[in-house]
Amino acid sequence: MSVDKTIRHVKALATGIKYLVSSKRMTLMYPDEIEEFPDGYRGMIKYNWDTCIKCGLCAMVCPADAMKMYISKEESEEGKKPVRRPGINYARCVFCGFCVAICPTNSLKFTKVHDVVYNTLEEQVYPPEKFREGVPKPQYKKKPKKMRAILDEERGLRYEPVE
Amino acid sequence: MSLEERELEVLIGPQHPASGHMRMIAKIDGDIVVELRPNIGYVHRSVEKLAEAKKFLQIIPLVERPSLADTTANNLAYVMALEKLLGLEAPPRAQYLRTLLAEINRIHSHLYGLGIHGVMIGSSTAYMWCFGDREPFIELAQELTGARLSYSYIIPGGVRRELPSRFTEKVEKALRYMENRMKDYFNLYLNNPVTRARLEGVGVLSKEDAIRLGVAGPNLRASGVPYDVRKVEPYAAYPDIDFDIITEKVGDAFARVMVRVKEIQESIRIIRQVLKKMPEGPILHEKYIKAISPKMREYMKETGEVKFPGIFANLRIPAGEAISRVEGGRGEVIFHIISDGKMSPYRMRMVTPSFRNVILFEHLNRGVRVADIPAIYGSLDYFPPEADR
Repeated sequence: MSVDKTIRHVKALATGIKYLVSSKRMTLMYPDEIEEFPDGYRGMIKYNWDTCIKCGLCAMVCPADAMKMYISKEESEEGKKPVRRPGINYARCVFCGFCVAICPTNSLKFTKVHDVVYNTLEEQVYPPEKFREGVPKPQYKKKPKKMRAILDEERGLRYEPVE
Repeated sequence: MSLEERELEVLIGPQHPASGHMRMIAKIDGDIVVELRPNIGYVHRSVEKLAEAKKFLQIIPLVERPSLADTTANNLAYVMALEKLLGLEAPPRAQYLRTLLAEINRIHSHLYGLGIHGVMIGSSTAYMWCFGDREPFIELAQELTGARLSYSYIIPGGVRRELPSRFTEKVEKALRYMENRMKDYFNLYLNNPVTRARLEGVGVLSKEDAIRLGVAGPNLRASGVPYDVRKVEPYAAYPDIDFDIITEKVGDAFARVMVRVKEIQESIRIIRQVLKKMPEGPILHEKYIKAISPKMREYMKETGEVKFPGIFANLRIPAGEAISRVEGGRGEVIFHIISDGKMSPYRMRMVTPSFRNVILFEHLNRGVRVADIPAIYGSLDYFPPEADR
């Protein structure tokens, strides 16, 4: 074996040992720790029933046909003509946020919720009445620690607890 | 025994042999590969045909899906073709933001390729490192766009978000981290004699063959052809940016790896310049800003989040044809859109770099040892969903 090769072998081993002794981990221990996302994170969508003008642009722009206009029963019976309001199907949603961006009254807004478990496919469909109730709260067995990702020169990413 | 009697057919795949679903049909004689044919199409999702039934804006998330590790290139190329048909150009600040995201994306796309290659040749440390180091860059992109991979950030006439506060500082930290970390990559992986033995002189692609076969991206540059769309046909903010085309002479698997490693370093240089030279101004074309209600315009100013004008829901593109080219992480992405003035394209053609590189499987794997198949596969940074579309 040449000298050069030996040196390179030793260097590789030394680097390995260096990381063994002083490791720079950036692991997030999900679900005991959960990440607090930055503002503007495109999570599940909340709907404001009162400000919505029922224009239907969100359903028109939706690339995955997740957002659809449903006939709102009570209002339709009251006004004696069909009133349509948006509802969302999270089984189809791709979280592109086009509906939020196109909403002319900001009636649709992002939340930071994204980790919700459903037992059936039907539960993932949110007709307007269910959509207005807001996004479901993620359920954890133990209350998780909220962590924020911080970029670090030494370690790349570092997670710090949020107060 | 004759060769025909000795020959054995080995099927590698189709259940996710490495970077996606594909099958390689190898004919081997002992340990030597006589012939290897790639069998593609397992993850064909008919993006081109689907596009004909979708409205123009709805195609943005669609074209991102095939190459999930490198979404910005497809997003940008598609929107550039639309803008050519619309006859408008995004304002300078939007062009810089596009470049910024494209380069962040290039870094984490290259790390993805290097990581997969690492684990293919048995270095799980390289895999873990690369995938871990993608994370700071994905975190940056997430802060800029709101999503980890499927950004849908670039829209006709501009981009969707303003730079977040203190973003430059954060980027600088991630870049410095990557630069320091690179030294350890060389010590542990790239200069490691084991890695070198697996990659050097394996799967040599000559310059002439690379040109003849129409190979794209880092694989082409590793064979000594200085071809990069960012230089040949500059787009976005690249005309103002000073950077070099990375080439290697040898054209073997190691050269292809080194091109990616050096391109990460070059991208770091580009990102620094982009952030330094970033001009002030709007991030959406004024034609569309005018179409947004005054109240929403106020909201846009406050939050830096672009609202879509109502016309985006049923965006009509003037009849005509447009071709756009973008240098993505894996190579040249081409979009050809034919519009007949309706709300959906008449035809959309999408040429992805992986599709152009798939021919190398057959070309490079002749006469190599079986253990070299993963070493060559990984070095091509081939991504089946991208090739199948």
